[in-house]
This record gives sequence, C-alpha cells and structure tokens, in this order.
Amino acid sequence: MANDRLQACPEQSSSSVSSRCFDNHGIRGSPTSTVIGPSKHRHSTLGDPNFVENYFKNSRLHFIGTWRNRYRNRFPSLSNGFTKSHSNVSAGTQKTPIIHIDMDCFFVSVVIRSHPELNDKPVAVCHSDNPKGTAEISSANYPARDYGIKAGMFVRDAKSLCPQLVILPYNFESYEEVADQFYNILHKHCNRVQAVSCDEAFLDVTDLEGKDPQLLASAVRKEISEATGCTASAGIAENMLMARLATRTAKPNGQCYIHPERVDEYLDQLPIKVLPGIGHGLAEKLKNKNVRTCGELRLISKDSLQKYFGIKTGEMLWNYSRGMDNRLVGMIQESKSVGAEVNWGVRFRDLQHAQHFLLDLCKEVSLRLQGCGVQGRTFTLKIKKRRKDAGEPAKFMGCGDCENLSHSTTVPLATDDIEVLQRISKQLFGSFHIDVKDIRGVGLQVSRLESADTSRQAPERNSLKSWLMSASASSKQQFDINRIAKECVDSEGKSVGGNSGVLRIASVENSVHETNNAPNGEGGSNQSSSVPPLCHLDMGVVENLPSELLSELNEIYDGKLVELITKRKVQGDKSTGSACFFPPEPAQVAVEEAERSRNSASVSLRRTALEMKGTQHILEELRMVPDSEARPDSVAISTAGLENNDLVPSSLSQVDTSVLQQLPEELRADIFEALPAHRMPEGTALGPRTDNMHPPLGIKTATDNQPGSTDSGLSNNLWIGDPPLWVDKFKVSKLSTLNFFVDMYYKANSAESLSSILQCIIAESLHPLNARCDAWNEAIHSFSELLMNYIKLKIVVDIEEIYVCFRLLRRLSTKSQFFLEVYNLVFPHLQASVDENYSGTLHIPPIK
Amino acid sequence: MPNSKPKSPFSGKMERKDNQSPQGEVAGILVEFLEVAITSVVYLKGIYPSGAFERRRYMNVVVKRARHPQLREYIHSAVSGLLPSIQKGLVERVAVTFFNTDNIPMERFIFKLMVNQSFGSKVEESDLEFSLRSFLIKLSVSQSLTTVLPRDCRWEIMAYFRSLPQVSTSKDAEMWIPTDTKQWQQPPLITPIKSMNSEPLGLQLYLEHPSPAEQVSG
Repeated sequence: MANDRLQACPEQSSSSVSSRCFDNHGIRGSPTSTVIGPSKHRHSTLGDPNFVENYFKNSRLHFIGTWRNRYRNRFPSLSNGFTKSHSNVSAGTQKTPIIHIDMDCFFVSVVIRSHPELNDKPVAVCHSDNPKGTAEISSANYPARDYGIKAGMFVRDAKSLCPQLVILPYNFESYEEVADQFYNILHKHCNRVQAVSCDEAFLDVTDLEGKDPQLLASAVRKEISEATGCTASAGIAENMLMARLATRTAKPNGQCYIHPERVDEYLDQLPIKVLPGIGHGLAEKLKNKNVRTCGELRLISKDSLQKYFGIKTGEMLWNYSRGMDNRLVGMIQESKSVGAEVNWGVRFRDLQHAQHFLLDLCKEVSLRLQGCGVQGRTFTLKIKKRRKDAGEPAKFMGCGDCENLSHSTTVPLATDDIEVLQRISKQLFGSFHIDVKDIRGVGLQVSRLESADTSRQAPERNSLKSWLMSASASSKQQFDINRIAKECVDSEGKSVGGNSGVLRIASVENSVHETNNAPNGEGGSNQSSSVPPLCHLDMGVVENLPSELLSELNEIYDGKLVELITKRKVQGDKSTGSACFFPPEPAQVAVEEAERSRNSASVSLRRTALEMKGTQHILEELRMVPDSEARPDSVAISTAGLENNDLVPSSLSQVDTSVLQQLPEELRADIFEALPAHRMPEGTALGPRTDNMHPPLGIKTATDNQPGSTDSGLSNNLWIGDPPLWVDKFKVSKLSTLNFFVDMYYKANSAESLSSILQCIIAESLHPLNARCDAWNEAIHSFSELLMNYIKLKIVVDIEEIYVCFRLLRRLSTKSQFFLEVYNLVFPHLQASVDENYSGTLHIPPIK
Repeated sequence: MPNSKPKSPFSGKMERKDNQSPQGEVAGILVEFLEVAITSVVYLKGIYPSGAFERRRYMNVVVKRARHPQLREYIHSAVSGLLPSIQKGLVERVAVTFFNTDNIPMERFIFKLMVNQSFGSKVEESDLEFSLRSFLIKLSVSQSLTTVLPRDCRWEIMAYFRSLPQVSTSKDAEMWIPTDTKQWQQPPLITPIKSMNSEPLGLQLYLEHPSPAEQVSG
C-alpha cells in the first residue's frame, strides 16, 4: 500500500527499506515531494552526471526510509534485545498498557523552532518555493491545515487557499537531531520501545507498575517539548492498535486514554479507513459491501471475512474492528524488500545514458542493502513509461501520466554485490524493449532478503555444485537437488517476462564461482573425485530436472549423463526393463509378497503398476514442474517387476504440499501408495491424515431411504456402534482371518470407513488371508456379509466410498484368493444396488 | 426481500439473513457452490478457450469464473432459478451434459442433492464449506476420469425433480422448461468423483458415460 502511494507521488523516490514500519508514515505524509533547494541542483538526469546520488541526498522519503538504520546503529541492543524475554512475559496477559507517542507535524515543527514568530501562522514544508508553485507540500502545521491545506497539494493551490502561507525548506540535520533527542527521552523512561518512524514510537509500560501510564505519558511529552521545542501527542490503551487510534484523537499536543470498557463505543462509529492496514483498495471493497464503520464491520462473521479477503486479512479485519490486536511491542517487522526508485527528473538521451543511470541506481541499492545488513534473491526492475498521448507533465520534471512496467528475476544465491546487481538489472532492463526517451522513472527493488551474516556463512549450501561435492548419494541429498530444482522453477514461475531463464543460468554460474573462491576452498579441486559416481544418482530425479540444470549436471559428468538417460529411455521403450540404479527395497518386498501369493509375481506386479499409472494422472495434475520429456510411461507397461520403483520419480518433492494436504483423504492415500517408500518424505506432515470427513455411521444413517435390499436375509446392523458390531463379532471368532480384520480395524484409526481398513490391509505385507484353512468358506461368507451391509449403508449417500472400496478390493483380489472370491461374490450385488439407486453401472477401471 | 435474486458468488455475497430456515441457508450455500462447480466443469472440459475464464477465489480455493457475460449469466440464472426448489428438497439431481454435434450425449456430470427437510438446528456454515471445497479441489484434478470430447460440443444444464414445482416463485425459475428427455438408452457407466454427507446436506458428484452397449446401439 505504502509503495503504491509512494509511486503515485510523481516526483518522489520511494525507498522501501522497511515495509511495515513506515507504512504508517508513508500513508500520512506520502503524497509529498521532497527534493530540497532545486535551484542549486541540476534538475534532471540530462544535466547532472551524479543525479542519483544528489537526488537521494535531498529526498525526505529517503531520510525516513534510511532513518531506521541510523536508529538501529544508535540503539542496537535496545531495538533488538528485549524482544524475546518480553514476549514470554506478556504473551498471555491482556492488560498491557501501551503508549503510542507521535510528534505533532514533525517536519514543520522542527523547522519553525528557530522561527518562534511563525508559531501560530500557517506554515508548510516543501522542497521548493518557486513562483510556478508546481512543487508539492510535504507537511503542513495545524494553522495551515485549518485552511484546508494538506500534504501532497501543489504549492500553487495551497497558496490560493491561504495566500499568507509560509513555505520553508527541509532541514535534515535538525530532523536527525530532534529524532535522536526524542528517542533518548523515550529510552530513558521505558526500556521497551518500538520505533515506528523517526517521530513515532510505541512504549510498553507493563513493567512500570505503580506508575500511572497517563502520568508517564504527560511526563514524557513535557520532557520532549522542553528538550526539542516541539510537541508530541500520546495515546494510551490496552494494545498497540487502540493506542494508535487514541493518539489520533489526542492530536495535536494532547493525550488520550481509551479505557478497555469503552473500546467498543470508541470504535462503533469509527470509519474503517482509519484502521491501520486498511488502505484505499480494501476500504473500497468494503464500501461496496456497505461497510463504512467498524461497527458495521463487526456485523460480518469471521468466516465470511476470511472467505472474501483471505485468512490473514480476514482475521485482521475481524480483530481490528473489535479493537483486538495481538502484536507485541518490540516485534520489529523485518524488512521485506530494499530498493530505490527515482521518478523525478528522469530524462534520457540515449541507451548509454540510461545504462549509466541504472548503474548508479544499483550502487545506491547495493549500499542500502549493505546498510541494512541484508542480501536479496529477487530483483525487480520497475520502469515508468510515458503514455503515448501524454505531454510534458504539469509538474516540473515530473513523470506525468505513465504506464508502470516491471520485470523481475530470482537468483539462487542472495547477494548485495554491486556488480551482480548491475549485471542483473542490465539484463532486466534489456527485456523491456523500450525507447529510453519514454522513460520517466526507474526503480530497483530487492526482495527475498536474507541476513548478510547467514548468507555469507553458508554460500556452499545454496550452490548446486557444492551439493554435488559433498554428496555421498544418500537419499536425503536427492531431496536437496529436488529442492533446488523446485526453487529454480518456482522463481521462474514467478518472474515476469522471458528473461528469467537466461538470468538463472548466469546466477548459477555465479554461485559456483563464489564457492570456488570460498576461503576454505574445499570445492573446485577435483570434480571427478568428489561428485558422486554416476551410478549413484537417482535417475528418476535427474530426468525430471529442468533442462538447464540437467545440462549443467551433464557438463559436470562430461556429457555422460545425457547419454545414460537416452539409453534408459531406449530400454524403457523396448520394455526390457530399465537399469535400476538403486536396487530398491520396496521392489524386493513386492516380489516376496507376490511370491507368497498364489498368483504369479509378474501378474501381481503388473497390476500394481497399472494402479499406479492411474494415480499418476493425479500426480501430473499436481506437479509444479513443467513435465520433462522423460516421463517413463513405458515403464508402466513393462512386465519387469522391478520397474515398479521408477513409476513416480521424484514426484513428491515436486508436489505442492499444501495442495496435497487439501486433497481428500482417499486421493492422498492413492498418491502415497504410488510413492516408492524410499522417497517418502521425512516427518509426518504429509502422512495421510487421520481425521476424516465422513460423519460417524450412526443409527441415523439413511438405511430407511433404502428401498428393499436385494438380499433380505442379511441384517444391516453390523456397522452400528463404536466399535461397530462386526468388530466384536470377528474378535471372538476362531478364524484367524477374521481376527486379522479386527487388527486392521484398530490399525486403520479412522475406522468408520471400510476403505481406510482396506488401505491398511494393502499396506500390510504379511497377511494370513492366503492360506486355505478349514473355515475358509465361513470366513468368506462373514466378510462378504460385512461388505454387503456396508453397500447397503453407503450406497445412497456415499457412492464415492463404495467406489474406493471396490477398487481396493479389486487390487487385493489379484494378491489373494480370499479377496478374489469375496469380490466375485459381492460384485453382482454391488451392481444391482448401484443400478437401483443410480440407474447405471459402477465403472471399476479394468485391469488388463 | 424473499424473492430477491441471489447474487453471484464471485461478486461476493457476505451476509446471509439470520432469520432464514436451515434449509434456506443450505440452499443458498448450495446454489452458490453449484454456480462455481458448474463453471469449473465447463472449464475442465475445455470447450471454450481457457482465456474465456479468469481466476477467482472462492471458499479459499482458486476457481475459474467465466468472463463472457452470456456464459456467466446462463450458469448463474440456471442455478439461482433452482433455489426455491432446492430449498424445498424438490431437486434430486443437477446434470451438466455434453453433447456431440449429433446431439448424442457424450458425458454427464451429475450433482446429486439431498437437502434434509427435517433438519432443524443451526447450520455450521464453515463445516459445510469445508466439505464443499473438497469437491472443487477434487474436480480440478479429475480430468483423467473424463472423456475427451470431440470438437464443437454443445452442453446444457438439466435438473431432475422429485416432483414438479407448482407455480414458480421467481423470474429465474420461469426460465426452466419442463422436459421428459431421456438421456441414455442403456444404463450408463458411473464414475464417482466426490461425495459428502452431513446432516443438513448430502451431495454427490459423479460422472456418467455411455455404456459400451449404448455406443453400439447409438
């Protein structure tokens, strides 16, 4: 939001060194212009070779933006130190008194200290008081505001409202001085200070028990006024939100306390726009829904808000409209992006000229990154392009009516290096294909920030090559390469324009380069000795890498990799069974299992392969990586049992886990089944969830709706109760087969659904269902009865469950004679029920 | 305003009346959901260029919304015309049928509805939406279950009533034309996509494809 506003302000350089913190400030004072004393400076890129540097020297927003670094350097321990201990103390307590303190029209008050005669006169601060009046007011004092003068107004218009308006220039030195005094006083009275801006802060006064926060606030205000000659206002309330709103009421030069019991009353008629975090866009959307005040906002349920505005924003709206705010003083929001932008005075002669400017801008951004101690991975170049029909803007050297264009790219290794920045921005610039004469503004933003310390400590970690160096072919490292691949693809997906691919390669090279220069220099020496041998690579993973990465890997292996892949593919096509680089455990298990069964190993495994092929469609849908040409579909047709393992290569790491978690249980189970065990993810986050969406099968179920069953001899109450009746019945049975089902029932966890029990049975490698025992037929009969009960129970309300069950049964029937007989016995009954209720036949995908 | 036309879900209807019956509330949610789900089906089948749809968020999942006003209006008016009948539990199924150029049905997406008329307590909207959302998610990954349609397909929305409604109460409802069209000569093949069953509402989505016998006779 703040950024938008800043851009809208046509002549200004916005520096978004810290997004949240000067949101507040930006919104309040943003539509203001800032270059001081233009008469002494050359006005555009045309006349001034050091334009960028001079420009930022004279920018007020630049002052605000970079002020934070100065503050951090001055109060390093104070701004970071207390956060942790503090959050423990007050996390749960509700009655934390917070004081929000804010200087009154800071930029004006500081300047008129030396002009006491102007105290009651209308005064505004502006970088220029030239007679044309096309400069914009940056800040106005209260007497001026009485005339309707606002920040962002042209001086010309302001003067027509108030001819006696006094325009003064900035005085950055005084601003720094006063800001320092301001914070010295705050830190003296309270050790929990959160700086919001150079003239605005929150104090947490929980610790100062016995002291009335209101008295404290007056003392602080008095001291500020005596020390600086400027007034400040304060708001006191239970949380940061309310304290800030209280300050709004208190201004100017006052203080306001909002009692917890009066919060609702205070908010009721409050326009929503006043709430922090509600910008123009959000306010507009709410207005369309006839919501203008917090009181009206409170009428909407949290669910609806989250549905329409997203989880986070919805929650914020809901909380704020009730005066609730869980933020703690001292939780300093880390900067999300660092950048610099110049939208004033930009006029280029030719390409060379523009590139010179770009290099200077990179220098500025690089310095800012270093100043903040961060490095970034995503680079966004923004260009303001004059609209075709736009003439010279009203404002002198302004940008006028412009299109905003932007391209971005992400590199794998965070950087603040000026040369890298310059190379990247040059490439980004090239991708605009724009006539430089149309450019009216240029900005470079760096995001995905990492702390410079950590990124320096571990450049190796991020580098593809170093991964290869240290790799000992464990499966964990296969994950790493996937992760890298995914990150690359992610970034490709997010960047605009076609240049990202090129840049990515460039930056990968770059990262390799840095590794080699690393002080400990472990890399680089002898490639062939330190990369894992070719046969240790998981080809399933390798084949699915993006082609750029693949070609890089290929180079490391002197071209042998691609050769190998080609060979594999040919073999796959011939269905002769491909080379298996890891003799995989799961396959062995499968073979053993198959041998145990009465059917031949090949049939059974082919079956499994086909099942997997089915789920593969789903996986393809979920896949975030553009499908490489190496999908070994041919493998699925192959008769070789070991192929099994290569069916779902590298898939899980490329599946968006959040999608996976959203999937219905059955679908997820399918996917997990299709995953070779050695690629199962670590941790349980992805495991099939145990909660399920089917309501418990109670007596309430729809059996009454069921028209007469085809098999009236069966009772349908086997599924009633918790645990269902059949569990008790099977438990006491002498038949080990039936006892086995009971075990599976308890193992399955979500035992209301038969499908989850069948899943469990499939996952079980050892089961006694194959041995023909004396009571074979009795067991078959009992289980079939259970199944028919279940069909009766579910057919009307949940055909999906029935479908899943019978697909699982069908799969089981290829492994076990027992299930084959059950399946054949119950299948006609199933189809009769389906026909009765759905006038159709349930389509169970055939197994060839 | 009992007869007011429901707003499109995409335009963001936020407040539901508190004094509604549980059935009214369920029907409202369901109609909104059907509009989104039918749009998803039409998008999934790719009979219009993908540029004819734009991304929207509904129930916190990304869905498609038709950009062409006529397409949007057809789906919207069709389902909102069903609102009163759904509320009374008269609508048994809503079918989205795709026909080839010879007007032979190739594929049908069936939404089978059960609005519990005796449900009397408060509807937990969020639970309902949680379940409905899984339909949208599963639908978006169900392409492999569906058939590939020939070019120049036609499609339509059809509703099956348990009994015909009496005098229609809203303008949209008047746009529904009674018909006794029979879709299949032979029992179709059924492929379930998703089912949910809660106390106030049961909903199932499944596919119908012509059985091999039908293809021979047709």
